[in-house]
Amino acid sequence: MRLVADKLTRSYGARRIFGPLSLEIPKGTVLGVSGSNGSGKTTLLKTLAGLIRASGGSAKIFLEGEEAGAGHAPREVAWAIGWVAPDLALYGELTAEENLEFFERVRGRAPAIGRARALLEGVGLPPHSHSKKSLSSLSTGQRQRVKLAYATLHEPAVLFLDEPSSNLDADGVEVVARVVAAQRERGIAIIASNDLRDLALADETVSL
Amino acid sequence: MGWWDTGVMIPAVKSFGLAAKWFLGLGMAVICWGAFLYARPAQSFVGESSRIVFFHVPQAWVSTVAFFVSAWYSAMYLWRRRIEDDDAASAAARLGFLFCLLATVTGSIFARVMWNSYWNWDPRETSIVLLLLVYGAYLGLRGALEDPERRATLSAAYALVAVVTVPFLTFAVPRMYQSLHPDTVINAQGKIKMSSDIRLVFFSSMVAFMGLFFWMWSLDRRVSRIVREASA
Amino acid sequence: MSTRSPAPVLGAALAVLRKDLLAEWRTRIAVNALFLFAFAVLVLVGYAVGPTRLAPEDRPTVNAVLLWIVIFFSAMTGLARVFVKEEEAGTASALRLAAPPAAVLLGKYLVNVVLLFAVTAFIVPLFLVLTSFEIACPPLLVALLVLGGLGLAGASTFTAALVSKAAAKGALFAVLSIPLLLPPLVAAVSGTQVAARESSFAAGLDFVRVLVAYDGVVTTAAFLLFDAVWRE
Repeated sequence: MRLVADKLTRSYGARRIFGPLSLEIPKGTVLGVSGSNGSGKTTLLKTLAGLIRASGGSAKIFLEGEEAGAGHAPREVAWAIGWVAPDLALYGELTAEENLEFFERVRGRAPAIGRARALLEGVGLPPHSHSKKSLSSLSTGQRQRVKLAYATLHEPAVLFLDEPSSNLDADGVEVVARVVAAQRERGIAIIASNDLRDLALADETVSL
Repeated sequence: MGWWDTGVMIPAVKSFGLAAKWFLGLGMAVICWGAFLYARPAQSFVGESSRIVFFHVPQAWVSTVAFFVSAWYSAMYLWRRRIEDDDAASAAARLGFLFCLLATVTGSIFARVMWNSYWNWDPRETSIVLLLLVYGAYLGLRGALEDPERRATLSAAYALVAVVTVPFLTFAVPRMYQSLHPDTVINAQGKIKMSSDIRLVFFSSMVAFMGLFFWMWSLDRRVSRIVREASA
Repeated sequence: MSTRSPAPVLGAALAVLRKDLLAEWRTRIAVNALFLFAFAVLVLVGYAVGPTRLAPEDRPTVNAVLLWIVIFFSAMTGLARVFVKEEEAGTASALRLAAPPAAVLLGKYLVNVVLLFAVTAFIVPLFLVLTSFEIACPPLLVALLVLGGLGLAGASTFTAALVSKAAAKGALFAVLSIPLLLPPLVAAVSGTQVAARESSFAAGLDFVRVLVAYDGVVTTAAFLLFDAVWRE
């Protein structure tokens, strides 16, 4: 499987934000994207993930076993994409477990009680101590960990991480490293950040 | 050089455009003269009030046409994502709003003369007010969105929902009620009940108002394009 | 990781419904606002009109209008939240990536239907009592309330999706909804007047038909256009 971008561009009105960008990311790669604030890192990730429509060019995702095909536009394979970003929020009135269960249901999978708990434990949030607390009562760092759990819940082929280490302590940063390592086995990870700890996890880095 | 060369074509098209504009202006002047000095007042109307039909009906007609034009280009935009389609849709809406306002005001003046009250909630009056509200809402929505793509997409979506729901009032409800509106043009028998002089001025006026709309519409689109290119 | 087709829409929509109702139950913000507003307007209307201030022959006309005004304005107060809250809380991107657009619309529509029906069930009996509004044909009234409510919820949900990305959301929501909702409201009010006067269901059948047609049209249009509205 791989992700291919071909002369990908994104403009806002007449202002070019990034592009034309062409790249090919094979399975097992962790790509870092760095750049000063406002350089378009987040916009690039959003366009590759299908959250924003491209102004020109295309991004295609080739899934496992479909090397010869035409590839999929990111929007068609939203179930294969994971996303973590600072402006992403989960539902504050629900608990972490309820959040994960919701996202499983909405993706068409019957929520298995064990899965959500195991995942939360994996990001360092033992469910027995947090299962009764609504998300809004957790600390920012704890919420960031839940976001990581949300993003990997459905075992995505491509995982996008925008500033993943923000608000995390040393333990949290280790969790990010584990998540990225697990993603490397599964598919592709793309990290946008200026934080050196994040970029250290990448195999290669491009700069905008 | 043959007639198809751009050196010949472009000046030719420009002269044609110039001639058409003059023709329209002159035509409108003639129609105004005809509306007041040539056509005789119709019998079933109070005094000279039938003359309003030369202005009010074309305005109402144009505002309805503009609505459908706007909806068409909205659909085109959602399909092709070309900003020129959005220019066309919003230009049609702006003009549609203007003509709708004029139609409402002239209609109200006529109602005062004919039936002694400015507003009666006659089904056709209600429909034109609804159209006015739709235009106002559409323009209000556009005003609240800054991102050009988002503005184009969301206003196009609204225009398309409006175009399928507005006819409900126009067609579904009035059929159930008696209307005060004179039935000289749109009537149950499907015939035009006008004398020949009135008919001449009336149909000329319809054509002239349509011409006016398309001219203003092309101007508005050109302005939008120029503003966009200038701010690039 | 396996190749999967997108989630079935109905299941995902029910998940959205369940999640929204659960979140709403925990905070009760929209529910409180809706019920308090409806109750406040009801008290005002009930006091001003009361059981005796209107002549019996005027009651159907005036009370029908007032009832639907209360329902309509309650809708305007509470139904925008389904989308506005997602955008303001920042949860919209998570939902965009996880759920098929049709499921999001269906789920949010069902949430609004539940909220509106709950408020209606609360308001209508109280209104009937406070104003001594006698209904000759209750089944007709129920049909109108159900179908009118579905139409109100349908158009409001779509409009909510539009305003959630705009500035001035509160004012804009009503401005955009009113033109779309005038046709079904007119039909519902007229039908309610008939329900108050005539004891046969058939007397109001025309209005029921208009509402059914409207509900079908607005729901279809909303589903077709939602994809363009929801995604950036």
